[in-house]
Parts: sequence; C-alpha cells; structure tokens
Amino acid sequence: MALLLGKKLKRTYQVGTQLVTALATVSLEVNSGQFLVITGPSGAGKSTLLNLLSGLEQPSEGEVLFNGACLSTMNETKLANIRNAAFGFIFQIPHVLPHKTVLENVALPFQYGGLSNASQYMDQCLEHLEYVGLKKLGDRSPNTLSGGELQRLVFARALVRDPQIIFADEPTGSLDAANSKLILELLKEQAYKGRAVVMVTHEKEAMAYGSDILKLDKV
Amino acid sequence: MIHIDDILKELNLDLKDAWAGLLRRKVRSLLGSLGITIGVVAMVAMLSIGEGAKQKALDRIASLGLHTVRVEDAREGVGITNLSYGLVLADTKKISAWLGDRGSVGFFSRAANIATYNNQQKGLSTVLGVNPEWLKAEKWSVANGRPLLPEDMVRQSRVCLMGVKIASDLQVSVGSSIRLQNVPCVVIGIMVAKGRLLTEGTGLSSLDFDNTVVMPWRGFPFAKVVANEPILDGLLVTLRKIPEKEIIPIAKQIEEIIQVSHRSVKDFSMVVPLKLLHKVRETQNLFAWVMVSIASLSLLVGGIGVMNVMLANISEQTREIGLRMAIGATKKRIVSLFLCHSLLLTLSGGIMGSLLGLLAALGIQWLAGWEVAFSGVSLILGPVSAGVTGLLFGIYPALRAASLTPARALRES
Ligand SMILES: Nc1ncnc2c1ncn2[C@@H]1O[C@H](COP(=O)(O)OP(=O)(O)OP(=O)(O)O)[C@@H](O)[C@H]1O
Ligand SMILES: [Mg+2]
Repeated sequence: MALLLGKKLKRTYQVGTQLVTALATVSLEVNSGQFLVITGPSGAGKSTLLNLLSGLEQPSEGEVLFNGACLSTMNETKLANIRNAAFGFIFQIPHVLPHKTVLENVALPFQYGGLSNASQYMDQCLEHLEYVGLKKLGDRSPNTLSGGELQRLVFARALVRDPQIIFADEPTGSLDAANSKLILELLKEQAYKGRAVVMVTHEKEAMAYGSDILKLDKV
Repeated sequence: MIHIDDILKELNLDLKDAWAGLLRRKVRSLLGSLGITIGVVAMVAMLSIGEGAKQKALDRIASLGLHTVRVEDAREGVGITNLSYGLVLADTKKISAWLGDRGSVGFFSRAANIATYNNQQKGLSTVLGVNPEWLKAEKWSVANGRPLLPEDMVRQSRVCLMGVKIASDLQVSVGSSIRLQNVPCVVIGIMVAKGRLLTEGTGLSSLDFDNTVVMPWRGFPFAKVVANEPILDGLLVTLRKIPEKEIIPIAKQIEEIIQVSHRSVKDFSMVVPLKLLHKVRETQNLFAWVMVSIASLSLLVGGIGVMNVMLANISEQTREIGLRMAIGATKKRIVSLFLCHSLLLTLSGGIMGSLLGLLAALGIQWLAGWEVAFSGVSLILGPVSAGVTGLLFGIYPALRAASLTPARALRES
C-alpha cells in the first residue's frame, strides 16, 4: 500500500460567477524514502496540489489516501491529528509565532498533540535545534533571526514530531545559495532516513535533489 | 472518550498562549478592556453605595427594634381640641389589656431640663418620666447602682437614673443628690452607654440616651397636665412571641384602640419598624434593577469594544491561525484559544474594575459623606460578569477564526 495516494485530484475555485480551475486532474503516489519534486510554471497549481495532499484543504474531485485512510472524509479532529503527528510543513515564507521564543516555536506542535509533559519534549526540541544548527539561538525571538535561520527553525519544527512525510512548498524560494543548499541537503538526508519528502520548486538546482519529478502544466 | 485531564492540560496551554497574546498588544488590550473596566467600576461603586444605604437602614431598624411599635404624641399638628387630650395613661391600659401576654407597653413623658450638682456643674439634658417596661423595651440597663423598681413608681420617690455622658459631665456618682430645676433627686444608677436612638427619617423624635436623666413616671414633676390628666409623650409597645407577619395587623389594632379612645382625633403618630424594613427591601429591589440595567448596558458597550479588539487581533493573526491549524490545531483549539483571549481580556478588566470600584466607593464616601459598605458579592460579581461578557462577545470572533481552512488562512497576506 502506498504511503500517500492522490487519486484524480482536481481543485476549482468559485471566483465571483466564474469557476477557476486551480489544479487539473492529477494522480500520484508517494512512498517512504521518496523525494518527490513537483514543478511547473507559476499558476500551474503546485501549491494547490501540495495543500490537497497534506490535508490543508479538500479537493473538488478525487481523494487523498494516507496509509489507506481517506483525508477528505475523515473528521476534522482526526485530520488535524494526522497533520500534527505524521506531516511536517515547510513553506516559502517561514511562518512563526513572533511572540514566542525560537525554542517555543519549535515546541509548538506539542501544544496540539504528542507528549503532554514539557520536560519530556523540550529535550527533543533542543536536539532538533542542534540538528539545524540553531542550538545557541533557542532563547531568542524569531524577529532577531535571519531568513536562513528562520527557515531552519521551521525545519526543526517540521521534524520534531517525527513525521512520515515532509511537505515543502518552495522552501528555498527566499533563501540565498548557501542557505538553500543547507535546507536541500537536510531534506535529502530526511528522505534517506526513510521519510517521504514532497517538495514544490521551480529552481533547477533544487530539482536535482529529487528522486522523482512531477511536472504540472498550466491549466 | 473524553479525558478531563487532557482537556485541562489543553486549556492551561491555551490560557498561557492567550495571555502571551494579550501582552503582545498591550495598549490595544488595555483600551479594549477599558469599557469593561469602567462598567465594573460603576457596578462595584453603585453596589457599595447601595449596600451602605441598606446597612444604615438596617442599623436604624435594629436600633428601633423590629418587634416594636412606637407611638408618639402629635397634638401640635391638630391644634387644641377638647375631644382628646393626647396620649394618656388610659391608652396604655387599654392596649395592655388587649395585648395580654403578647406584649407590654412602655411609656414616657419628656421634658428638657437643666441638671445641677453641687450648685456648680450644669448640664442641659432630657428628662424622661418612664415606667420600668420602657427601660426594658429599649434594652437599656444599669451599669452602676440599681434599676427602677415598681416600688419607686408606687412611692413616687424622687430618684433618677443617669445617662453616662450627663453623669460624667456633672461628675455625679450613685448616691449623689442632684437638682433638676428646683427638684432634688437622688441618683440610684448610672446607665450603660447606648448612644442615640436612630430615628432619622422616621418622623420620631430623637433621643440621646447618654445625655438623658430617667425618673419614675408616677409623680414625675415635669409632666404636662391637661384637665388633671398627665400627658404621655410616647408609647413603646414590645411584642413577644409574635410571628413577623402578624406584627403589622397588631399595629393596626393598636392604632384602632388609640383612635377610638381619642375620639378619632389623629393626635398621635405611629412607627412600625417592620414596615421600614419592608420599605428598605422594596428600595433595595428597585435599586438592584436600576443597577442591573446600568451594569448590563455598560457591559454591553464594553463587550462590543472587546469584540472589536478580538476581530482586529484575529484578522491580523490570520496566517498564525493558519500555521497553528497546519501543525495540528483543531477548530476546537482555535476557538478555545481566542475564547481564552477574550476571557482574560475582560477578566483582567473586571478585576481592575473591581479594585478601582472600591477606590471610587471610598472616594465617594470621603467626598460626599455617603456610607458605603462592601459586600463580597459585589467584588465577585464584577469580574464574573466581565468574564461572562468576554465569553459571550468572544464567541463570534473565535468562530470566525476557526472557520477558515488552513490553506486559506496561510495564503492571507
Ligand atoms: N483561493 C483561491 N481562489 C481563487 N483562485 C485561487 C485560489 N488559490 C489558488 N488560486 C488560483 O489557482 C491557480 C493555482 O494556484 P497555485 O498557488 O497552486 O499556483 P502555483 O503553481 O503554486 O504558483 P506559484 O509557482 O506562483 O506559487 C492560480 O491561478 C491561482 O490564482
Ligand atoms: Mg505556489
């Protein structure tokens, strides 16, 4: 059984009286250890596809199966728990809570699931901060971090619940070459460790890291 | 399955998170809760004033005695008539006979007088001629010496009891012989300090117990006499073993008895403290309604302010809400987070309002001289009603925050 299965996924949006197709019908399969790169021109629906696969929104047609369970028919709590425990997210803009410290931001997933004892998960969070090279910055405010450091913070947060799949939407889109390389190497390492990685990018250098490539065309 | 433990843990996390969120926008939070604060200040201040007024009224009623009926001479109001001479001994006998063992009738005759001791110390005092029942009814006892005895009434002895203040003004002690005008009189007792009879607002004449000299009524040298009948200035009927609801009908009967014996001349006035109590309760109820309306109105206004702040916070934090949802926050947790937010906002406003309300009440007491009293209820009611307002007005913003899909929220710029 495939880890993640997208069956005839299609997404349309109602904009005023018009029905806009954001994603034309796509099917795909993702497995453990796979580093799937999704690419294509701007507006082709790459982000939309990633959102559908990761349960951030629901398809207009088709379905997504995670370990055989359909994401679009399961209840909201269960889906949220899967996102919390089984998925890790990295976005183009590093989303953080600016009023919390770097370490607290890394620990945020535990606020919504997993170990309820802070003394237990804080060690894990510190380990992950160390893994991305931010160990010394744990007490700082995210506002004081550079773009590259922020993206690494997000990376640590994505890993902290030991996810089965990492979803990354243009994770290097706003980084310089050195930081991009660092993030891509980390992603590759995670795939090597057996996690599935699904990454959207339109950068040639980034595509080279993928084990498989899915190219979307503009609708 | 629902685990209370888990729910409490989550609530604890959301409360902490919401508190940190409040502190992010200190000025906005402060301004947002200001309406609530002011509402609670008004509420606590008004409750304290109301409570003070009530306390004062209850003190007055306690001073007059709940199980009493007080009758006073009011001939001045009706002018001279030969149909009735005013309150006389015969009235007390009729009432006594009618009451039987349900009560007793104390009475007094009053005069203002100058008391002298050793031809030197002078003190202006009220002199009362009373029967022993009157002393009992006022619950006024002797501190030093002996009380009035029935023999004193029979013997018409020239003896007196003295209030503690006039006694110390004149420097008399038990056994001293004083003069009231030209009447010599032996002090047989000094009374315990009792202060004043709280008659304010009742129409009864006031009485400063501690500045009063009391003599046996029979043979009272200063009694006003009309057609050979000494006139009484007041009756004090004490009811015994009478349930509260029968007091007013009995008072009515007593009034009837006097009315008949006075040939329908309304030359007396009657005060039933129980009626005052009913009136106090009525006023309190009315006051409570006015209070509730004003408080709800100001809480409504405050609540709208809070809702405004919450909506601003939420639209500003849309992407953060998207992030929380992406990494596993359920809609329930988003609602919980923002309800905690508005709850803390209003609760802190409410607590601040309670404290400021206390200060405001004290300020009013100091400036206007109104008595204020603090009830625990008013102190708790402030923050609680503020918190409830926060929850009510927080529901809409919280639901709105949770209504977004994570993808939509994350796309928001
Ligand atoms: N909520 C929405 N309402 C209406 N149209 C939308 C919505 N979300 C996406 N679209 C449209 O769907 C199309 C695909 O959007 P999407 O963001 O998936 O593209 P993309 O491939 O990620 O592009 P880019 O490389 O620029 O990020 C676009 O034309 C976009 O305007
Ligand atoms: Mg995109």
